[in-house]
Amino acid sequence: MEMHQIRYFLALARTLNFTRAAAECNVTQPALTRAVQALEGELGGELVRRERQLTHLTELGKQMLPLIQRCYDSASAARDLARSMTTREAAPLAVAVSHSVNLALFMPAVAEVFRAHAGVQLKLMRGGGAEVLKLLKEGDIDLAIAGPLDEPWERLDSWPLFSERFELTVHADHPLAGANTVGAERLADQKIFFQAGCESRTEVMRRLGVHAFAEPAGHQVVTQHDLIALLEANLGVALVPASAARGASLRRVRLDDAGLQRTVSIYGVAGRQRSAPCTTFLNLLRSAEWNAAA
Amino acid sequence: MQAAPRAMTEQPLMTAIDAALRQAIALDAPLDQRLGLIRDAVGALSAEFATAVDRLVARLEAGGAGAAAPAPGQPMPPFVLPDEAGRLVAMPRLLAAGPLVVNFHRGHWCPYCRLHRAALAETAPAITAAGASLVIITPERGRYGARMRAEAEDRFPVLTDMDNGYAMSLNLAIWLGAELQAMLGGAGWDLAAYQGNPAWMLPVPATFVVGTDGLVVARHVDPDYRRRMAVEDLLAALG
Repeated sequence: MEMHQIRYFLALARTLNFTRAAAECNVTQPALTRAVQALEGELGGELVRRERQLTHLTELGKQMLPLIQRCYDSASAARDLARSMTTREAAPLAVAVSHSVNLALFMPAVAEVFRAHAGVQLKLMRGGGAEVLKLLKEGDIDLAIAGPLDEPWERLDSWPLFSERFELTVHADHPLAGANTVGAERLADQKIFFQAGCESRTEVMRRLGVHAFAEPAGHQVVTQHDLIALLEANLGVALVPASAARGASLRRVRLDDAGLQRTVSIYGVAGRQRSAPCTTFLNLLRSAEWNAAA
Repeated sequence: MQAAPRAMTEQPLMTAIDAALRQAIALDAPLDQRLGLIRDAVGALSAEFATAVDRLVARLEAGGAGAAAPAPGQPMPPFVLPDEAGRLVAMPRLLAAGPLVVNFHRGHWCPYCRLHRAALAETAPAITAAGASLVIITPERGRYGARMRAEAEDRFPVLTDMDNGYAMSLNLAIWLGAELQAMLGGAGWDLAAYQGNPAWMLPVPATFVVGTDGLVVARHVDPDYRRRMAVEDLLAALG
């Protein structure tokens, strides 16, 4: 496939009109038609059918459209990256990371981006799942890392990085510290902290089925850092994702329900142009093996 | 998706290909002859598969797949790609140290690419002597690159080109098509899992020799993935 061929095909798929697609791409209609035909030849079938006034995508065309769009977007990002390397201009790495995600996991990747892009300007935001999503939607940031975002927005792109279980964190002096695993029934009379804004909060609570289980009224802990401080003071126990930071005086206890888990993904916005450092960061994270790390 | 032909669903296929690969790696002969051993083995194992490959290659050749990739005298667009250990490798940094050989491979599962890598490894001392470096670019996620690197007896980094983005920007990406997707999938080669996307796209295997000025000195781009740049041509391009 050639870049101009897929660009013309994408314009045609969008407009379903040869004249308009050619105008959009700044080429003559015969040139556009020839290029699309060449693409059809390479893919081994018709992509677009013209019946009287009605132009429409064939089954193959519909099947290939999202694949070709993704490939074109990646290639455009690669071209932008190549261009920015010659101009060496400043470019942002604008990322939001959910409070429920341990930032330390991504520092090696950030360091790599710093090393590779001299002009990188880091914009690092934190927030709960909903806040991170809002930042992404409003264009404050280009990429977000969070647990499952329950969001029907069709422009939201997501790439799963790893899955992990929720665990119980307790102080070493806590009676549960020596347990191998614990079930929901042993949590009933515990003072349980759970990060506010954690994307999986509702689901984990529902699954544990502890209606009585609730943080003491008025307690709300937002960051993992604060949660660890509370547990270091042995003020209760906490449900945390396995990759959360660990405190020196704290112990982890497995929950016997293996279904208490979540998937951490990196999110972006389809069709929005990304800076070179953002493209590199996204590719670095998607290429990496996370399950070993988490 | 159509049902995979029976011969392709059986484990012996991979074992037999591995045997042919070992034989080809051990053979002291020009690269095209060694690649021919694998081609013959695949043909003997499944005529149906070999015919499907011929059809794909014919289609790609008719469409001139890869022809519009950077040619000798043209600039090689720079890349920044992660290697198998999660470190970013940037083309300008490599070129600052000397000429660069950029190879596009299909993946760790492809016997032709594995043989090609073994042949490149044999030339490693000559490449180093020429002050050049060599990278292998695949659309596969890092863990498969790590597997390739562990298997090989060389130090060439394997870089990940997610979604074939860099390859596509060079007009090098192709779509395998439903028939080969079914056959390869049936044989246990899950390209979607290897690449982290459902596209079943691959780069046209290619070798570019890039001078320190960033211009392409020589290239081998062939939609018939069973052919690769002759080792002698590669070394000649490095001068």
